[in-house]
Amino acid sequence: MDIFTIMEVGASALSAQRARIEVISSNLANIHTTRTPEGGPYRRRDVVFRSEPFGRDPSARWVQGVRVIRIVEDGRPFPVVYDPGHPDADERGFVRMPNVDLVEEITNMMLAARSYEAALKVVATAREMALRTLEIGR
Amino acid sequence: MKVGFDPKAFEPTSPLQPRRGRPQDFARVLKEAIKEVNQLQLEADRAVQDLALGKADLHTTMIALEKAEISFRLMMQIRNKIIKAYEEVMRMPL
Repeated sequence: MDIFTIMEVGASALSAQRARIEVISSNLANIHTTRTPEGGPYRRRDVVFRSEPFGRDPSARWVQGVRVIRIVEDGRPFPVVYDPGHPDADERGFVRMPNVDLVEEITNMMLAARSYEAALKVVATAREMALRTLEIGR
Repeated sequence: MKVGFDPKAFEPTSPLQPRRGRPQDFARVLKEAIKEVNQLQLEADRAVQDLALGKADLHTTMIALEKAEISFRLMMQIRNKIIKAYEEVMRMPL
């Protein structure tokens, strides 16, 4: 039943995109966070995807699923804003803010949501194929 | 023509093909098909439980349910075929 492989590849994409949206949700939640357990403002995070061979059939090793292998921190410098009233301001009144860009995160979120939908469509197509094929016998 | 994959991968590998060696009787074919389907039903059950316990993703559970449904329908088709063949044999005038 190799139509199931299509579903599993689709499922791997669903997991990967879900993880991406999880990371984006964390970035958006901490868009103004100036304190973290590691100290300093929140650092933007991103996911790294890797393709990997899929399916039990060794002759079909070119079928590749996807997996999140790492979550990396963004090394961009923190933007500095002048806000002397802020408790985390330095002696000159400057505060280091997280290096999260709202527009960038929203764009990434839309892309991830569309990719998720595409993977859903793959699963739905595989299902449709299987059910239609079973109608041969009718 | 050079292609980037093994064309053998597209050959049908249906579990319904008659296996070589000992011929199989009706009951055994049916039993094997049911065993496979039952396995997927159990997996779907477990997936629903894992979802309720927060151990699995929503899509993992849904896909397990889909697999169970498709294999169940396949089993029904196999059953229909086997029963039809059986009836055909029984109708043979002796």
